[in-house]
Amino acid sequence: MSYKHIFSVFFAATLMFTALCGTSGASSRIDIEHVRGPKINELSMIIISNPDAQILAAEAGDIDILSDITRPTDINRIAHNKNLTLTLARGMHAFFLLLNNKVFPWNDAVLRKAAAMSVDRSGIVRMIFGGYCEPINSWLPPVSPWAPSNSAQDIYDPKAARALLKKHGYSWNMSGVLTAPNGKPLPVMKLLTPLARVAPTTAELAELIADSLSSVGFPVQTEPMDFSAMISVIDRKDYSMALMAWSMGRDPDSLYSFYHSDMDVDGGYNMTGVHDKRLDRELYSLRHAPDKKSAAKYAATSQKLLAEIIPSVPIYSRFSVSAVSKKWKNIFTTDKITADNIWTLLCAEPKDGKMRPMRMLLAEEPRNLNPFSASTAYSWQVLGMIYETLLSTNPYTLENMHGLAKTWKVSTKNTTSGQCTELDFTLQSGIKWNDGSPLTAADVKASMDFIRKNKIPRFFDSVKNIAYITTSDNNKIHVVMNGVSYWYLDNIAGLPILPKKVLDAIKDWQRWDPLDRAGTFGPYGLVGTGPFAFKSYRPGEFLLMKKNKFYRLLEAK
Amino acid sequence: MSSKWLAKRILASFIVLAAVLVLNFILFRMMPGDAVSTIIDPSFSPEAKENLRRIYGLDKPLFEQFLIYVREMLTFSFGLSFLSRKPVWDELASRLPVTLALASASMTISALLGTWLGIKAAINRGHFAEKLVLRASAVTSSFPSFFVQLILLMLFAHTFPIFPLRGTLSFPQPQGTINIFIDYVWHLALPVISLSLISFGGWALYVRNLMVRALSEDFITMARARGLPPNRVNLHAFRTILPPIVTILLMSVPGLVSGAVITESVFSLHGVGTFLLDAVSSADYPAAGAAFYLLALITVTSNLLADIAYGLVDPRVRIEGRGE
Repeated sequence: MSYKHIFSVFFAATLMFTALCGTSGASSRIDIEHVRGPKINELSMIIISNPDAQILAAEAGDIDILSDITRPTDINRIAHNKNLTLTLARGMHAFFLLLNNKVFPWNDAVLRKAAAMSVDRSGIVRMIFGGYCEPINSWLPPVSPWAPSNSAQDIYDPKAARALLKKHGYSWNMSGVLTAPNGKPLPVMKLLTPLARVAPTTAELAELIADSLSSVGFPVQTEPMDFSAMISVIDRKDYSMALMAWSMGRDPDSLYSFYHSDMDVDGGYNMTGVHDKRLDRELYSLRHAPDKKSAAKYAATSQKLLAEIIPSVPIYSRFSVSAVSKKWKNIFTTDKITADNIWTLLCAEPKDGKMRPMRMLLAEEPRNLNPFSASTAYSWQVLGMIYETLLSTNPYTLENMHGLAKTWKVSTKNTTSGQCTELDFTLQSGIKWNDGSPLTAADVKASMDFIRKNKIPRFFDSVKNIAYITTSDNNKIHVVMNGVSYWYLDNIAGLPILPKKVLDAIKDWQRWDPLDRAGTFGPYGLVGTGPFAFKSYRPGEFLLMKKNKFYRLLEAK
Repeated sequence: MSSKWLAKRILASFIVLAAVLVLNFILFRMMPGDAVSTIIDPSFSPEAKENLRRIYGLDKPLFEQFLIYVREMLTFSFGLSFLSRKPVWDELASRLPVTLALASASMTISALLGTWLGIKAAINRGHFAEKLVLRASAVTSSFPSFFVQLILLMLFAHTFPIFPLRGTLSFPQPQGTINIFIDYVWHLALPVISLSLISFGGWALYVRNLMVRALSEDFITMARARGLPPNRVNLHAFRTILPPIVTILLMSVPGLVSGAVITESVFSLHGVGTFLLDAVSSADYPAAGAAFYLLALITVTSNLLADIAYGLVDPRVRIEGRGE
């Protein structure tokens, strides 16, 4: 390793340390209960799809906030720029080595455990990512409030892996290849990876993992493959090993989707094919936990079992990295969120006191601004500033905090048709839509009913168990869900809320284009309660937002 | 060129288009996975995925899907994109102007510059001018386009900020039609220059070879012997190489759209090339089907026009046409 490389890793570690200690220079701790804003009158979202041009634009001062910087060279470059502040935070992203639990040799938990101990995660983090991610040893990313405290620990120990294998009857042949206790040598196993053209880092990573495993005697060869083909092969369980990354939600309930045997179906996410009755029981209890306390208990026991069964091998979690121009003050960051967040957009002001529009990068075309059919992160980067949800996320703890609702309650009840969950929300008073009309409980009910009635795929899972909804006093919503689950709260509280009058006027939810002035399939305009309102959009160039003059957190005049 | 010959060529073009239409459908469906299968999101259950498949029409029998597809292609309606849920035709129409401007400007510049340099090289055979053209053409056409374009972007949009970094419009947007037009041209200048730089070399080498061969023909020797001035002689030679030049020019039209993919990505342009790339990578059947169908249509039309143009500029083809 060159001195330059060592310096870069040391630099990344220092940067990460300062970021996680909350002293990255961006902001001191802000009292989120008393935040008032937005201060800026306009937000300009500039569309630049080329990653190199994005960096150049930030350096040239053409954009003030640059999100999702992933290449270590770019991070180093930005870190050395005197006009930009780099902000880092632990992310929800997690990268796994998938092992097909259904076939020889990965149907043996001992072998899977030995494989987990044979992968040099810290080496990978150092060699490929220059230190800008962390090794993980958990099935939830370390940033999750539900992850175990040792989730970022590297368990790399090839000697212990060899000893474990030996203890369980494995041996090595003359070529150093592992032989099973029944005398059957391990077959050459293909490690599927996306094509280097599409995911160059993953292809490089696959080589390092294959080398790590081969050094302990696992006969592994990498096999690059088109991503769709790879998914198809994994779906059919016609594979031995594969590399896959995904972004987890905040809640541990996602573990059910990835590791419960019920999810080993067509289109399900149990990609490793793990079937374990004990794990199934714990995951079921986690999904149907009645309250937060029991949810925490089952999240812990599920993860303990996963660490024992090791259906897949967690490798690393990438940091979220963003950059912000030093010309702005009150940039909001925590160890869990980078500068490109809604709190920054509420608090930020130009340092020189001369108010001007803030320029934010939009890395791809949003293409669709219909909240019911928009599917990309770029569309939601825009829509998330216009539409709000009943609850929001505390940026310091990632716990629920008030949004449109000021109070909420989860309870369970026994009825003649079985147990049910009751969710009670009380709306904050005085909230208005960006057209000036008041938000009422009827709007919230109408939003949920609209999604239920049209079975809108993106939100379908959140509403499918609703038994009925009632409203009272214009600001109280009572939602009754069939069955018991603490996660119903997050599902319901995460739905976008639209005005009833808009929903009633939508003729075809799929074809509705809120930017179509003719109103062919529904009304024109994006009417929300969020801090910004839509101003104009020039496809391929930019999208402009203006301050919502009726926003609930605006400073009193 | 007889009407019978023309009718035959048009019929052949339709057969090619029909074959493309069928293959376009089959090949995409043969590829593993679809637009839904690549979703990895725990909040998207298998049931929700099935619902999405139903909305996309992927649950219908394959033959029914084929009939819908053929109807959409023939009526140019193209349906809704899986990714954006917007009419594919609207999305293509909004992206076509940039791609057309980029492709036509760069093709015109590279063809004119390449042809001129090729002729200069041929008539100055063995001299410094020929060597310069040959070397310059070989160098510029051998570099990968994304490399040249990234270097130009870094150099002329960042180090020496003469041109903009992205898009076709400044921010804030200039006022007035003339200012907007000037701004548009300024934004497209670097992409056009880079594309022209990459492709003029091919033209220059091709034209130089054709011209060298033409200049060694007997009729040119005869013309020189008759005492015709050199410019006249060169013009005679150039007229004989026009048919292959016209053919290559028309045949290169379809490649311009697919070649625009890289340029549009590097310069963050809102064009058809990036749309095509997104459509294929996300298995957006309606968008990819429409884009490939239009590409096939452009290819077939260009080939047909090349045949017709060949007949117009080369008398021998006209005679053969009558003889059929």
